[in-house]
Amino acid sequence: MPRYFSVWLAFFKNSLTRDLEYKANFIGGIAVDSVYYLLYYFFFYTIFSYVDKLGSFDKEAVFIFLVISFSIDAFYMFFCANNVYKLNDYVVKGDLDFILTRPIDAQIFVSFRYVNTYAIVSILFLLPLLGILVFNSHYEPNVLQICLFILSSAVGVSIFYAFDMLLSSLVFWFRNFSLVGWLSYEVLKFSMRPDSIYTGISRKILFSFVPMALISSVPTRILLFEDGLHYFLYQIAIASILIGITRLVWLRGLKKYESASS
Amino acid sequence: MIQNAAKYWAVLKLTWIRTLEYKANAFVGLFAIISGIAIEYLIWIQIFATQKITEIRGFTFIELMIYLYLSIIVGQLKSSWQTSQEMIDDIRNGGLNRYLVRPISYFWYNFSLFIGHNSLYYIIYGLLILIAPFIFPAYLFQNYFHIFGFLLALILSIFLSYSVYFFMVGFAFWFGEVRSLITAYNLANVILAGQMVPLSFFPAKMQYVLSFTPIPYLVDFPVSIATSRLDMSLWPMGFLKLSVWIVVIYIAGQIVYRIGIRKYGAFGA
Repeated sequence: MPRYFSVWLAFFKNSLTRDLEYKANFIGGIAVDSVYYLLYYFFFYTIFSYVDKLGSFDKEAVFIFLVISFSIDAFYMFFCANNVYKLNDYVVKGDLDFILTRPIDAQIFVSFRYVNTYAIVSILFLLPLLGILVFNSHYEPNVLQICLFILSSAVGVSIFYAFDMLLSSLVFWFRNFSLVGWLSYEVLKFSMRPDSIYTGISRKILFSFVPMALISSVPTRILLFEDGLHYFLYQIAIASILIGITRLVWLRGLKKYESASS
Repeated sequence: MIQNAAKYWAVLKLTWIRTLEYKANAFVGLFAIISGIAIEYLIWIQIFATQKITEIRGFTFIELMIYLYLSIIVGQLKSSWQTSQEMIDDIRNGGLNRYLVRPISYFWYNFSLFIGHNSLYYIIYGLLILIAPFIFPAYLFQNYFHIFGFLLALILSIFLSYSVYFFMVGFAFWFGEVRSLITAYNLANVILAGQMVPLSFFPAKMQYVLSFTPIPYLVDFPVSIATSRLDMSLWPMGFLKLSVWIVVIYIAGQIVYRIGIRKYGAFGA
């Protein structure tokens, strides 16, 4: 474990050096995130000019939910987002050959090689904002809720990763799956709405097979509402299954991999 | 003129054939529409149900869903992500040299690629638009003028959208990497062009600001024609403004390209 941490630290230093060489890109990444945040804020601002509540989420809860969603997204961007979609290129060009020969688990290398360092700026902006929003709201989370919220957010990031990795791993079967980013973006949009809008069959799907509602809504529920604990246990169970499936699919995919030149 | 058109038609055909080889893209494109409208349906049905209202700003629930359905489709049709990426790479890596020595216009060449790349979506989304009036006969294309008006507005809006992308890509001559600008524009378009909320739902000040930009003509204008939300007496002015925006953005794009090409160093070639 410490070995992997030191490897990740080396990845981080390397990525930071690279990113700071291309300052326009670094600033551009921050600008894109800012536009993304503003637009979702504007969308829900418009929605709340017509409605007081979305199910159990009132206006304050939805804006807190949004900041939690952005934070989870920012953490995912920081650790994995620059890597997962590159799997398609690795397979198509045969670069995965070189990764497989390295003395490190190939899935870990593929998932964490490039750290999206500009996401640090987003995280440093979002976490204090979350604190301010919660402090100024009528919600009063206790210490246990805050601790569980932090754990649940980490589990949310892992679901985000597992789902993206699962989709990206399909390249082993399709040979070229360059649209994985678009497909993933379309599915992940479901995680950007509070779970209270999902009812009936959509709720069942988004809480099980495509667990988008577990990414941000559950951490929000744990932080703000008192019904969060059973959601947390459920979230851990689903995340464990999803990560297990992702690992299995990755290993099966590697067996199918024939290298681009073969 | 005919010779020129034949060149670009050949490029378009080749790209079209290549695009049709990747039929899985059609599945993802279809999923984007279905998932997009599903999310909108789930959020708006709750708003209508909990507020016990029958309409918002002149939209009944069904009218709103049809508007958003068409908006999402039109929004996808005008997206030029792939062509923009290729143009940026050309400028950054020196690939532009290939076109500078050929008797072709870089603008029109890439426009042919843009249409070719999107050809698969034109088929799929065309079918989705075609079936909609049969499912909701009273809400879409009330007469032949609306079909014609929608198609004309759609074609012009696709051209306007491409011109905007070309204009933005031109800044790669100075900054090298403008992918962030394109991404930010794409993200902004999803909401500001009316793909998640109709423009008439926006605060008045926001609508006023947007009226000075080409954004309302990218999605809202063709969709408002198709859904009869825009009175026919207002069409001529709408088409005139759309045409003016096309001319302005086209000229701006050409100016940026011509100044930029002087700075072009053909690095990496």
